[in-house]
Amino acid sequence: MSHSTEPILQIQNLQVEFHTDSGVVRAVNGVSFDLYPGETLGIVGESGSGKSVTNLSLMGLIPQPPGKIAGGKVLYNGQNLLELNQRQWQQVRGKKIAMIFQDPMTALNPFLTVEEQLIEVTMLHMQLNRAQATEHAIEILRKVGIPGAEKRIRDYPHQFSGGMRQRVMIAMAISCQPDILIADEPTTALDVTIQAQILELMKSMQEEFGTAIIFITHDLGVVASICDRVMVMYAGRKVEQSTTREIFRQPRHPYTVGLLNSAPRWDQGEDDLQAIDGQPPDLLNLPLGCSFNPRCQFVQDSCLQDTPPLVALEGETPHQHACLQDITQTEEDHSS
Amino acid sequence: MQVLTFLLKRFGWMIITVWIVFTVSFFLMRQIPGGPLNGERVLSEAVRARLEARYNLDAPISEQYFTHLWNTVRLDFGPSFKLQDYTVNEILAQGFPVSAALGILGMVFAITIGMTSGVVSAVRRNSAYDYSFMMMATLGIAIPNFVLAAMLIVIFVFNLQMFPAAGWGDLNQIILPAFCLGAPFAGYIARLTRTGMLEVLGNDYIRTAYAKGLSPRTVVMKHGLRGALLPVVSYLGPAIAGILTGSLVLERIFVIPGMGSHFIEAAIQRDYTLAMGALLTYTVLLFGMNTLVDLAYSIIDPRVKLE
Repeated sequence: MSHSTEPILQIQNLQVEFHTDSGVVRAVNGVSFDLYPGETLGIVGESGSGKSVTNLSLMGLIPQPPGKIAGGKVLYNGQNLLELNQRQWQQVRGKKIAMIFQDPMTALNPFLTVEEQLIEVTMLHMQLNRAQATEHAIEILRKVGIPGAEKRIRDYPHQFSGGMRQRVMIAMAISCQPDILIADEPTTALDVTIQAQILELMKSMQEEFGTAIIFITHDLGVVASICDRVMVMYAGRKVEQSTTREIFRQPRHPYTVGLLNSAPRWDQGEDDLQAIDGQPPDLLNLPLGCSFNPRCQFVQDSCLQDTPPLVALEGETPHQHACLQDITQTEEDHSS
Repeated sequence: MQVLTFLLKRFGWMIITVWIVFTVSFFLMRQIPGGPLNGERVLSEAVRARLEARYNLDAPISEQYFTHLWNTVRLDFGPSFKLQDYTVNEILAQGFPVSAALGILGMVFAITIGMTSGVVSAVRRNSAYDYSFMMMATLGIAIPNFVLAAMLIVIFVFNLQMFPAAGWGDLNQIILPAFCLGAPFAGYIARLTRTGMLEVLGNDYIRTAYAKGLSPRTVVMKHGLRGALLPVVSYLGPAIAGILTGSLVLERIFVIPGMGSHFIEAAIQRDYTLAMGALLTYTVLLFGMNTLVDLAYSIIDPRVKLE
């Protein structure tokens, strides 16, 4: 994907902290990235890597307290979203930036009909009246593939299956045609076959509306099938970023290598899957130096001392990575 | 249709429940030492025999049971032992509307004050509002009715002279006792609403609602309130049945001719018929209110099926 256009969203040095009884957790520690119109950026990492927190702060949805945006900027159309007040946020959420959550079972309100939950967005942001909003909602439900939409719209969420509920969530998120769609593990709670359908649906919606998508996942298979670019996060930092093709072809951070080795791939033999040793780090007690060093197979003395800076490799495809070692040289020995 | 079957079924269960309550209390009451004819005055044998004959107390216990049961089925609770010249039906017909009116107003107070302060406390959690409302709720629950009544009488009757001290029949005579009656219920409702609301506000769908750009007010009132009300609604059933049948203490203090005193006095005086009448009234009310609660549940939460 070429980036001739201007980014639609720029995240600069974002820092999010949580103040807990046992200390300050730096959930997001100086993360920067750009999002371009119409692209899909994957954010990959384990639980606790800060990927969800990053995206909740793009929506101003970090509960404060205990959360606190300690620094950084989120620029959308030149405006820093982090400076918005409650009322201004309401003009962005759902209208410019919309979100799909992981579990469609709990993300829809069980007490309200699907109709009520769909029309309240368009009545608010598009100033539709009730009849127009209902018509619009039926149309969008058809678009996301709900059969018999004009009848089903009066049903409650519990009357839908998991996949259908996620379709309703998607319908809700795209009903105001937002510029940016944040999808926080939208397929994790679904069956594999349903997953594929939902991914197809998101792709087609993106083609139709030109929406930029931030796709949070820990499933590299999903990344390969939908993302143009990938950003890998570990312990609140960005550790690697490049195009999807480049990440799969030549990963430059040992954590990414570990993730790739722990995911099944059709193009590599029937070797056993290799898990990454150890546990995700305790964010209250990060190891000195590189946060990944206790689990890293390429660890050197310097890794225990210095926090690796994010290095950008200029080339045909831009590639950023935060590792002190050049693992492209040593990897051959390890994998053989 | 579903509702009709549900109500019919519930009615059947109510009949059985009432019968069990009737049977248990009939024999329990007669097991307790003493009887309606034991009093300070010692009755002569002849008078006692006449009285026993009048109240059917000389018949074998099984016959008494079936006669009383049959009369109860015909909604005739018989004559009162202690309040002679009155039938139990008359006493209840006089007292219940008074207690119910007082109870309804008290409940209206309790629900309005309790729910409002509960919602505010939950939304502004750990704020000064939260702390002061919750302290007031605890006080409302902890302070006995008669203490609260005495304090309010001193303030509003003697100092401010806004209300009359006692009596029944005028709207401004009902406000003070209704408030005292509702205060502990307001406290419980406030606490239940707060807990319910806090739990609901932690749900994923509340985050979804915020992510849509809805205002905090819409999120709380439209997306939060229904779920938060469920625990309150289930508390309201027994609470309303209790509040409608009156309060002994408050009716005494404010000289209100309700039925609150009958429960206690009838039991103490072994007024078998009046005690039974009051008890069965309460049973039916309680059953009716719990049925209403179940109906309300199915209306509030679409996932609940009436069965």
